[in-house]
Amino acid sequence: MHALLGNMFVSLNLSTALQVSLLGFVGGILSGFIGSGGAFFMTPGMMNLGITGVVAVGSNITHKFGKAMIGSKQHGKLGNVDRRLGIYLIMASFAGIQIAVWINSKLFEGGGDGHGAGGSAAADLYISMVFICILSFVAVSMLRDALKSRGPDGDQGPSMKIANFLARLYLPPYISFPVSDVRISLWVLLVVGLATGYLAGTIGVGGFIGVPAMIYVFGVPTAVAAGTELYLAMFMGAWGALNYAFQGFVDIRLVILLYTGSLLGIFVGIYGTKVVKEVLIRVVTAAVILLCVLSRGIAVPIYLGKIGWVIVNPHLDAFLNTASKFLLFAAGISGTVIILFHVIRAYRKMRRIEYSLRGDQKTEPSSATVRLDMSEAN
Amino acid sequence: MPECNGANGGRKEEPMQLICISGRGSMRTKALAERLAHKLGYKSLNREDLIEKAIKEGIQVGKLEAATIKPQIFTERLALEREYYRAFMTAYLGGKAAESATVYNGRSSHLLFSGIDHVLKVHVVEDESTKIKAEMQQLGIDKKKARIYLHDVEADLNKWAYSMHGASLEDASHYDVMINLGHMSVENAAAALSAIAQLPDFQVTPASKRSIEDMVLAANARLLLARDERTFQANIKVRADRGIVNVTYLPRDAGIAKIIPEVLVPLPGVREFSVTMATTNILWVEEDFEAATETFDQLVEIAAKWNAAIELLQFVPQNAGGQEQLLSPDEPAFLEQRPGFEYECVGGIEEEGEVACEDRGFQAAKEALARLGCFGGGRRAVGSAVQIVKSIDRSVPYSLMVIGNLFLAKEHSAQMRMTRQVQGYVSDQINVPLVNAEDLKRHYLFGSHDFFKLFGCLGLFSFILFLIFTYQEQVLGFLSGVESKTRFLAAVAVFLFVPTMAYLYGNTARLLMTKLIRME
Repeated sequence: MHALLGNMFVSLNLSTALQVSLLGFVGGILSGFIGSGGAFFMTPGMMNLGITGVVAVGSNITHKFGKAMIGSKQHGKLGNVDRRLGIYLIMASFAGIQIAVWINSKLFEGGGDGHGAGGSAAADLYISMVFICILSFVAVSMLRDALKSRGPDGDQGPSMKIANFLARLYLPPYISFPVSDVRISLWVLLVVGLATGYLAGTIGVGGFIGVPAMIYVFGVPTAVAAGTELYLAMFMGAWGALNYAFQGFVDIRLVILLYTGSLLGIFVGIYGTKVVKEVLIRVVTAAVILLCVLSRGIAVPIYLGKIGWVIVNPHLDAFLNTASKFLLFAAGISGTVIILFHVIRAYRKMRRIEYSLRGDQKTEPSSATVRLDMSEAN
Repeated sequence: MPECNGANGGRKEEPMQLICISGRGSMRTKALAERLAHKLGYKSLNREDLIEKAIKEGIQVGKLEAATIKPQIFTERLALEREYYRAFMTAYLGGKAAESATVYNGRSSHLLFSGIDHVLKVHVVEDESTKIKAEMQQLGIDKKKARIYLHDVEADLNKWAYSMHGASLEDASHYDVMINLGHMSVENAAAALSAIAQLPDFQVTPASKRSIEDMVLAANARLLLARDERTFQANIKVRADRGIVNVTYLPRDAGIAKIIPEVLVPLPGVREFSVTMATTNILWVEEDFEAATETFDQLVEIAAKWNAAIELLQFVPQNAGGQEQLLSPDEPAFLEQRPGFEYECVGGIEEEGEVACEDRGFQAAKEALARLGCFGGGRRAVGSAVQIVKSIDRSVPYSLMVIGNLFLAKEHSAQMRMTRQVQGYVSDQINVPLVNAEDLKRHYLFGSHDFFKLFGCLGLFSFILFLIFTYQEQVLGFLSGVESKTRFLAAVAVFLFVPTMAYLYGNTARLLMTKLIRME
């Protein structure tokens, strides 16, 4: 793959463009299905295509900005956005994003020639390590919840340890949020906002912290948490996009190519949540995230080698790169195939029923509606 | 374990008066409930009796309370348990009220029977200072802690009510009477309530009798399904209408469609039942239903897209006149009639059997929907817009409410105005997207406007994409400039350009996936 403008932007041929669009499609499906932004797949996916980490993150956060704007508008119509809560979180998350952008650009500049390869390895390593730590935790928690919910005591719901612990603390001042019907300590709000912003700015997956935090820590209803997170993501995305664009790290071509796939995929994913059982949703999500983490983990020695911290055999370097790429695509594609399988099956079934009902309308009652006259029986 | 049909084992009994006293459950409230029951010669029941029976039934009430009160994700299983508990409460209290007139002292039972006119719903409040004093004495804590404790308890009770019934305890519109025990003695409060309970407004009418019977029948059907090991994990909604039980289940539970009839066979009081696969419900309000109309076809198309069941609500306005009549449930001075359509002037939520007319259109629409596999039940509301709101079951996940043609006896302009007023009132009360029949196609179906929008957005998006890839070196050069001014301009350009592209392609994707491919 040829580089454009030094080593920062890659040259895109039709094949690469289609791969980026496919990444967007898979990310969109996973995003609609899981409820996160899908960046955990798209960011490393782009890195595996040879796009530098910082440009992948910058382009992805910019992509998220537009997507969240559309999603937030839809949620707003349904009354699922707590704007007051969103504003408080936004203020804290901006600081988090700023810290993330500053760290990323320092690592990028510090290790090489400003927009050069040596610097990108340090930033890539840092992004990968944060990615691995956070997403391992999320995936393992999710898998544990899913497996627990299959057991005999499965209706206990997620752990209440954090909420109970925070409920025991008295941390004034408290702020009331009438839409979500909760009262939250300002300090807790600031910590969550900062963490969300930092993660959004570093790996582009703030939603993995924001949504669970709003549900588990604040006690916000799930639909409002998802709507408010999108509202938050819109501002964080805008702020991140402005910052990364100012630093020159946004590749607008990638953003648009991601849209071509993700905005279609998201509808498929959302449809999937309606036709797939909840346990399967959690298991698929956790498995996909864990494979993505593994894929990133395999790529770590490559970055270590580039920085010069370890000596990596060039053959091994190529092998690790291929293996990382393979695992990532295997994760995304296998998750997508499972979702698509259920979606297509359910979709076809619906349409078949619909057509058969229309055909049978004038003859006899359908199979979907069973009507029995019980007057004799009673 | 309560038997089917409440506690009367299927014996057909006439529903009697039920008085629901809702409050925080203080000693004085309990004393009031007992005193009132004694005065009226009614049976007295309280929340502890209900909880004991529910626990014996196997319902995990403690877990449900913990889940609603504390910040926690409400798992699917807990949501099913909540349905189970709601059904149990309805069947138990309805069954008890069928045995003998009852005074029930609980937290939020008034919300359970919010559509039943003869159920007297009383809210008991006390002065804050009295409540604080009582807590201080009971718990041995100081005033400040008692106030915080009281505030927390009230917040928890509200969360519980909202989770169980989708309404707030503080919403005065759900009560008939509010009694402040800080301002009157228990004895006098009981005397006042006793007099109110004798009023004709709170006596059993044919309409309210039918409503409570259907409610209990649906609850008993839901209980049977919750008790059966083949269906207890399925997300099922049950409605009853003049002895016709309508069961809806999610597409993912398609395997239980044939089991449901087997489970419900032992249920007494069922004339007929239908089993419909649905992810969600659409409520269609109309004065005169017809199966062969554009609205009907459009709704069926939307229901097919959404895997929704269509629930019919026939609204029969009691009166002509202005807003007052539209929104007031007062006794009407006269009743307008349409040719071939006669009805009694009773008010409330009715079923078609109560009305003298034989509305073939309503029947035909119900049958056509049942044949199409998307029938979600049918009922009738007579009176004002208030009755429409009362008739809506807040536990049903409606995705859309459609207001069709109402006030047919009026001339067109008056019809439009009055329908709009009803629409405004209902949308203020119900948190469900609401459209009128004219807007249905524009919002939810693919029309010529959508066609132009789809191709316009796609064309513009493709053109910009083409330009960017044709001049990619220049575009990237501009975006990665080193001078501050260029960097600032690049940031602003990205900030403005990206939402525009997201809007263009977002519209394309939405129209394509939801309106054309119908994956919604």
